[in-house]
Amino acid sequence: MRRFPLWSWFWFLLGTLYFFLPLLGTLNFSLRIRRDVLSLDAYNNALTDPEFIRTFVFSNQMAVMTILVSILLIVPTAYWAHLRLPQVRPALDFITLMPFVIPAIILVFGLIKTYSRPLTVFGLPVVPPLTNTVFSTNILLIFGYTVLCLPYMYRSVDNGLRAMDVRTLTEAAQILGAGWPTILFRIILPNLRTALLSGALLTFSIVVGELTLATFLARPAFGPYLALLGNHKPYEPFALSLISFALTWVAMGIIQFVTRGSGQGQLAGGH
Amino acid sequence: MAYLELENVRKEFNNSVAVENFNLKVERGEFVSFLGPSGCGKTTTLRMIAGFELPTSGAITINGVDMTDTPPNKRNVGMVFQAYALFPNMTVADNIGFGLKIAKRPADEIKKRVKEMLDLIHLPVKGDSYPYQLSGGQQQRVALARALAFQPQVLLLDEPLSALDAKIRVELRSEIRRIQQQLGITTIYVTHDQEEALSISDRIVVMSAGKMEQVGTPFEIYNFPQTSFTASFVGQLNLLPVTVSDAEGRRCAFNGRALAVGQPIRFANGASVRLALRPEELNLGGASGDSQRNELTGAVESVNFLGSVVRIRVDVGGATISIDLFNERQLVLPKAGEQVTVNFPAESCWVME
Repeated sequence: MRRFPLWSWFWFLLGTLYFFLPLLGTLNFSLRIRRDVLSLDAYNNALTDPEFIRTFVFSNQMAVMTILVSILLIVPTAYWAHLRLPQVRPALDFITLMPFVIPAIILVFGLIKTYSRPLTVFGLPVVPPLTNTVFSTNILLIFGYTVLCLPYMYRSVDNGLRAMDVRTLTEAAQILGAGWPTILFRIILPNLRTALLSGALLTFSIVVGELTLATFLARPAFGPYLALLGNHKPYEPFALSLISFALTWVAMGIIQFVTRGSGQGQLAGGH
Repeated sequence: MAYLELENVRKEFNNSVAVENFNLKVERGEFVSFLGPSGCGKTTTLRMIAGFELPTSGAITINGVDMTDTPPNKRNVGMVFQAYALFPNMTVADNIGFGLKIAKRPADEIKKRVKEMLDLIHLPVKGDSYPYQLSGGQQQRVALARALAFQPQVLLLDEPLSALDAKIRVELRSEIRRIQQQLGITTIYVTHDQEEALSISDRIVVMSAGKMEQVGTPFEIYNFPQTSFTASFVGQLNLLPVTVSDAEGRRCAFNGRALAVGQPIRFANGASVRLALRPEELNLGGASGDSQRNELTGAVESVNFLGSVVRIRVDVGGATISIDLFNERQLVLPKAGEQVTVNFPAESCWVME
């Protein structure tokens, strides 16, 4: 007879408690806005605050743009490095890890110092100051977020490319008559689906909660709003934290749903 | 005029020569194998025909058209890769029809052609499967169908059976040959497996260190090797250190014993050379006074049962030779350490450096 795996269950339950107890505590606290009564008032207050809607929508827009810019920048670069320049991959690994060691505060001051004046080549201005208008500051913010999320998106794409035989798949498509756009859009990108979703989810999570860049570039993002809310109200920030968790789980669920049934060698990758 | 022609093709990578002075003419519908060890340049040559590598010098023509600088997607050449290289995001049918879709063929034609191809590779019901749902052998059949679907001028196969187990390999190589003959497609097949090359090719190009060693039919390559490399690489070969005692009379000496040689000897008397003979040409027992047979004696080192063949290794004093005997029920095998006499016909051996 098979023995009951007691220790496996013990460690599993311990891990579950470790993960869920703080969440339960947060949930419990967020429901106690009224004395001795459990209510959803904190959630109602948070979600109906016009500032919440405004900052949340703004951060979502920034996140989507950051994801698009990241994909356009990283996928062709990582693909070409895998296909033709494997010798530059260590350099790419190093560069994309830089945001881990350079704090966001350094990054944002660097961006402000560089782009708050016109960029010149041989004394001639080629790019106007980016901090002068809302639109150009948003562009600066998106590129700042792109740098901040480089490690996550690049790792995801790199892992996805490692999991498939890029060179042979490219050559197989080429010999069948395919040109570069066909190879990229019909062979490489579809097989990077999970990797891109994974990178996009991480990028989304980071951008939506990011505080430093948005604060110093004075943009109405969700991160600064959450920080401000935490300073003034006790219960609503906890309600919003749980909502953020729920959104993350929904995103993970979407990934699971999209990649269901994919077998070995297909749609591999992810972070 | 040859259908596929490689003329003085040379390829260098970072100043090291991968392929040198490669000249080959392949007729339409011919099945030619490039055979050689790893690093001999066979895959590089194939990749130059495909267009994935550009020759450093020389020319490649297909059906009279110079293809030397033509990119791979404009060559109309089909290729099967060692690692299958099926597109994981597409079904089997989509994989097979990919080349036709790229060529913007009508949907009806693509559907019809895909069905024909699935029938050809005996997988008529697998069209909706994904590659990961197929076995290795099935995946390679699909890869073959995909390479053939758009009716390429030349089919290239780069060690297509290397990743498969022995039984599937034997089955699939017969199938590749059947399909090639059925379609009459000009085919270049790269392999390091001599048995594979010998069993399916019209001609074999034996390669070593970037150079062609010999080109010939499997029969010629095996029975009349022109270089010591071909002789030793294709099939098993015994090499006895001998001294030429009478070049004109085709005699050599081994341990004081005169040996008759069937082929002309191109070395001077007294030269230290090697006598080459295939294991299957040797027999146990004496020559019974036959002047056209040679005789050696020695102690049995080992007896190995290999299924249809029994391989006996005999130390003949200064050299060990292998003898391959057909496994017959009445065969009486010697034991290790036993003294035996072996004989072989003079016609079956030749002298080399």
